[in-house]
Amino acid sequence: MSHQEVEKYRRPVRIIHWIHTGAFVILFLTGLVLFIPGLAFLAEDSWTRLIHRIAAAIFVIIPVLYLIINPAAVGRGLKQAFTWGAEDLGWLKAAPRYYFLGDEKDMPPQGSMNSGQKMWWFITVVFGFLFIISGLIMWFGKTEAPLALLRWMVFVHDVAFIVTGAMLFLHIYLGVFHPKMTEAWKSMASGKISVEYAKMHHGKWYEEVAKGQEEKTQ
Amino acid sequence: MAEKAILYDATKCTACRGCQAACKQWNMNDEGAGEKTAVTGSYENPADLSPKTWLKMRFTEVESGGKVRWLFTRQACMHCTDAACVKVCPNGTLYHNEYGTVSFNKDTCTGCGYCLDACPFNVPRSTRNLLTGIAKMDKCTFCTSQGLDRIAEGYEPACVKTCPPKALIYGDRTTLLATGKLRVQALQTKGLKNANLYGENELGGLHVMYVLDDSPAVYGLPVSPKVPGESIAWKDVIQPVGWAVGGLTIVGLGLNYLVARANAKKEG
Repeated sequence: MSHQEVEKYRRPVRIIHWIHTGAFVILFLTGLVLFIPGLAFLAEDSWTRLIHRIAAAIFVIIPVLYLIINPAAVGRGLKQAFTWGAEDLGWLKAAPRYYFLGDEKDMPPQGSMNSGQKMWWFITVVFGFLFIISGLIMWFGKTEAPLALLRWMVFVHDVAFIVTGAMLFLHIYLGVFHPKMTEAWKSMASGKISVEYAKMHHGKWYEEVAKGQEEKTQ
Repeated sequence: MAEKAILYDATKCTACRGCQAACKQWNMNDEGAGEKTAVTGSYENPADLSPKTWLKMRFTEVESGGKVRWLFTRQACMHCTDAACVKVCPNGTLYHNEYGTVSFNKDTCTGCGYCLDACPFNVPRSTRNLLTGIAKMDKCTFCTSQGLDRIAEGYEPACVKTCPPKALIYGDRTTLLATGKLRVQALQTKGLKNANLYGENELGGLHVMYVLDDSPAVYGLPVSPKVPGESIAWKDVIQPVGWAVGGLTIVGLGLNYLVARANAKKEG
């Protein structure tokens, strides 16, 4: 069966996604060893901290690089992630029925990012900043910064860890395992998704693409 | 084993700093390159505690009534009963030993530095590479370091052993409490109305107690030291919440998978 495909994510976006994901997963795991007493032996002699810092540098550099390479795309992504309207509320209300029961009659048509993806962007940006600021203070201010500040930075880092960790599970699950998200994985692996899938999941975006006013992949 | 303690009497201390030297020597912290010191206009030297300086005398100049008072304080681990460092340590590297004082296992230290931030007395220090973050915590071990354990051998800590005016004494904590209280009474009858014993009840009882002739604040000590809430929150709140959130997320996603798959199959 011949079927038409449309490009969802371009190659640079995909590369950036995967490097950033890799860095985050490493940061998550090397942070987790301090969280689980039974794993703390892995952190002895600070090796996990060294790995954590290398990954942290990549984690910071990648978005900056993206901003330099394609500021317009970053701007579009941020704008979408921080613009919330009635449709998003509708989506959030209809989402449980859709994701559990496959009932999509109340799901409003979505742009290139659906409301859930916008939420993920939003959380990534907000908690990414919290991670980076608290991390930099702990990295470079350990001997200089006031102790109370350092204590609160650990706290902030931990809260961000829990929120983003839970969201990471959700993100991986929706991207790889959910029975309805059959092509989410493809969109970030090869970049292309079928037209049917695009219409179904990103109706508004597909219309724009079809009209030729292609909103470039974010 | 009865709880042990050190009693420091600031009114007897001559600030000879013999304890500083003895501490370094016994714990082999005098090896290798010495610490750079600088003239700061005070006899206080070195300027701060460090991974190789576990004990130092603090010199405080206080002006009152046109007179300058020169006060001495011992600055080292206070071996708290409610020890913030023990509480925040992720993997039990810091622990209470059989004498009630705070020991640590340097081999298992991850260098996270939570104890440095949490200590109400600002005592633990770490060697820390700024770039790599490779670090190890160090502090007074109450002379219980493995291979250098004076207490197990029935000796007093090195600082106590060397103290010429007996400003430092060592013994069972209950005995030293009584000794300290008697000394405070004697000082008060001599007219030092503010004389007090520091460490009887602070943080559940310190295992290093001070006889002071003035309020702890004058000596630069925290008047009512507390374990910082935001520090222990990480084990008491953050960790359980983390498990709950992480666990519920995974369980929820698993349930979703089962339900969604069943429905997808129904649709064919």
